[in-house]
Amino acid sequence: MKSNLHILPSTTDLKIHLQTTDYGNFLNNQTNPLTVSKIDTEMRQKLCREFDYFRNHSLEPLSTFFTYMTCSYMIDNVILLMNGALQKKSVKEILVKCHPLGRFTEMEAVNIAETTSDLFNAVLVETPLAPFFQDCMSENTLDELNIELLRNKLYKSYLEAFYKFCKNHGDVTAEIMCPILEFEADRRAFIITLNSFGTELSKEDRETLYPTCGKLYPEGLRLLAQAEDFDQMKRVAEHYGVYKPLFDAVGGSGGKTLEDVFYEREVQMNVLAFNRQFHYGVFYAYVKLKEQEMRNIVWIAECISQRHRTKINSYIPIL
Amino acid sequence: MSGKDRIEIFPSRMAQTIMKARLKGAQTGRNLLKKKSDALTLRFRQILKKIIETKMLMGEVMREAAFSLAEAKFTAGDFSTTVIQNVNKAQVKIRAKKDNVAGVTLPVFEHYHEGTDSYELTGLARGGEQLAKLKRNYAKAVELLVELASLQSSFLGLNVPLLISSQSWMRENEKSSIG
Repeated sequence: MKSNLHILPSTTDLKIHLQTTDYGNFLNNQTNPLTVSKIDTEMRQKLCREFDYFRNHSLEPLSTFFTYMTCSYMIDNVILLMNGALQKKSVKEILVKCHPLGRFTEMEAVNIAETTSDLFNAVLVETPLAPFFQDCMSENTLDELNIELLRNKLYKSYLEAFYKFCKNHGDVTAEIMCPILEFEADRRAFIITLNSFGTELSKEDRETLYPTCGKLYPEGLRLLAQAEDFDQMKRVAEHYGVYKPLFDAVGGSGGKTLEDVFYEREVQMNVLAFNRQFHYGVFYAYVKLKEQEMRNIVWIAECISQRHRTKINSYIPIL
Repeated sequence: MSGKDRIEIFPSRMAQTIMKARLKGAQTGRNLLKKKSDALTLRFRQILKKIIETKMLMGEVMREAAFSLAEAKFTAGDFSTTVIQNVNKAQVKIRAKKDNVAGVTLPVFEHYHEGTDSYELTGLARGGEQLAKLKRNYAKAVELLVELASLQSSFLGLNVPLLISSQSWMRENEKSSIG
């Protein structure tokens, strides 16, 4: 499908083309002009509907697995809501911007809190995110923490908890999910390191953000925390057979960034998840691959609408 | 020479000296008027040329910036709400100065940076590189916009004085060519 999407002249042609695929008539209720953000919102709603369908038909422990999957979106939504509540913005506006997969019942109650720790005690303690907050920090430090650091700390706890869950489940699920989650943890460590060069984030702070459930734990993470530029990071990666070829692929003729290379590897691993049967990893892989497909379609649509076709082929191909 | 322009004087040497002085004053005034009109026209043409160049460049820069926004969204996901919510103090500010061209004061804007980047850690876990590029592109666009604003307000400021001085010059020319 994607091979001929990039020759289309306009976004309405894109809509017609998408009708022939699995997406069907999801854009039928949209009036012209078709903007890229409308396409994005509609695709996300469709994915949410499919996800809810899976979830409603699931039993334990699959339903816990699904809850873990939604936690990452919940973390983003909570950060958004916290920020909005602290700045006294109206909750309704922010609710519209929240990711639908990360919905939880206490969302509207967020505006009753004055400070972050109030918010935690009143609202968040009921959500599945509570244990992640407790891992990271005590109540008092919650207020002073930079919002981005909070987001990353929560994500670290979440990833470690998810990894433990999959490992305890054992069986094929652990065989498929654990490498995927290890890669996610290491990827985060690398990207956080890369993006913290030249900012005010100290090395100790940086180290507290690395998830410990990956291959890099413990020596690699310690080495990474000391790294000061890209080459030092690359040398750390060279100790690990899996990551060396990834770092070597950066740059090159296509101008690939490290993030692109990581995205490709993630897609590869998710596709391989479908080769085994009777495990929960397929749901995770399905959602992640669907998200990547959404990102690709949005990218192509933006390139078409901005008439900037030179880089239209730099999406991440699936399969 | 029409009758109206005749000046009544008493024919004496002092009257002649006074008349010569008056003539010299009138000639100097006429030259100054020409100089003013020329200076304003020159400045006007310069500004116009720069405006055209800047506008062409603006088109390119805005296109580049919008595209880098799409790239950043591809890698980092949707960070627009985070950015809008964390808006605080402006980092780029404008100072207005006055410039003088042949007696006409024109406003000139120049930008300066103040404060730190409050979005330093946004995109820490994904898309940080693209976000940095995005910030640079849009900063360039803002600087170019400030320059364009400065040029356009000078343009408007010059317009009327230029018209007035060139009209006076032409009227002056007419009179002297008739007489």
